[in-house]
Amino acid sequence: MPSTQSQPDDLYNQAVAAHGPALSRLARGYEFDPEDCRDLLQEIHLAVWRSFRTFDARCSLRTWVYRVAHNTAASHILHSRRMKSKTMISLEEIEEQGGIAAKDDTDRSIEQSQMLERLFALIQCLNPLDRQVTLLYLEGMDAASIGDVTGISSGYVATKIYRVKAILAERFRNGGNHGKQ
Amino acid sequence: MANNDASNELLNLWKSQEPQSISLSAKELRDASSKLESQIFWRNSREYLGAAIVVVAFGFYMYKFETVLLRLGSGLTIAGALFMAFHLFQKGSAAAMATDLESKSCVEFYRMELVRQRDLLLSVWKWYLLPFVPGLGLFLLGMLQMVLRQPASHLHYGMVALWFGATFAMCAATFVLVEWLNRRAAREIQKKIDSLDQQRQATD
Repeated sequence: MPSTQSQPDDLYNQAVAAHGPALSRLARGYEFDPEDCRDLLQEIHLAVWRSFRTFDARCSLRTWVYRVAHNTAASHILHSRRMKSKTMISLEEIEEQGGIAAKDDTDRSIEQSQMLERLFALIQCLNPLDRQVTLLYLEGMDAASIGDVTGISSGYVATKIYRVKAILAERFRNGGNHGKQ
Repeated sequence: MANNDASNELLNLWKSQEPQSISLSAKELRDASSKLESQIFWRNSREYLGAAIVVVAFGFYMYKFETVLLRLGSGLTIAGALFMAFHLFQKGSAAAMATDLESKSCVEFYRMELVRQRDLLLSVWKWYLLPFVPGLGLFLLGMLQMVLRQPASHLHYGMVALWFGATFAMCAATFVLVEWLNRRAAREIQKKIDSLDQQRQATD
């Protein structure tokens, strides 16, 4: 746990060393276009650095960084004109629809890059809250830690994770052919 | 089991990405922070410039026209523009950068942002439209009065009625349209807030 007396610069360096790659993946989960993604990433880094002026160590550095990063990204989505016009749905809606149909489901040996592309497409149609849960799950966080960051009860996070797993399995089974033989 | 296998594979794939990882130096962070503040300053300045143009234009009308209605209308329009600028000054700096990024959980922050946007949309008529209604209304009446003072031989009452009616209808339609669009957008945001509240109630 970092000292509350630490300067924002030190805490920022510590945060980037520990969570820099995760922040980059997070930004990509909100903005797929490389330039927009880089702008958002800079916005997140700036927000994280500024936030350390008031860091009080009441929560772990990881929880703090993820909260600031996800809140910055959610605010980015809410204020972006392009994003405003985009329809975002919940995990439950995707499940009810039986997953989102992919363009080409016949190729069994789908490349990893294509799988990632599809994964990003799935993530980017989610509403902010479900997107946050999904991205944190992909970072390997457990339900309780995701609950700390998002403010949702860990039980409900577990339900969400169950849905995420089911949707991912449905969409990416056999390397992306959705199990359609 | 199959679900776990598939998602574990994706988890590994997700982590194996090599995204651009950036680390900004202290100088770069301070520069970016100053740049952000400067962008906000210029964005607010553009809005104040709009109010300043209204003040200058209607100040000129106040000086140029001699009738009480036109002068009063111009004065009230200037007052409306100053009120709007004051409101922007009060709200603008607070909204410069999202606040409470760290102290609120994601769900609380998201709800707070939605509520803020909804309230902003619902209050537009109070600080952006209503302040201009008395001034522009009187100014329009003053224009009508000025036209009607022309010698009767120069007047074509049908044209005057048409001009006045069209101008009034255009102003009213603009106000109604802006308000309608804002209310519609606010209703959409309210749906998101309701859905979020339902989810939270279901889990508490």
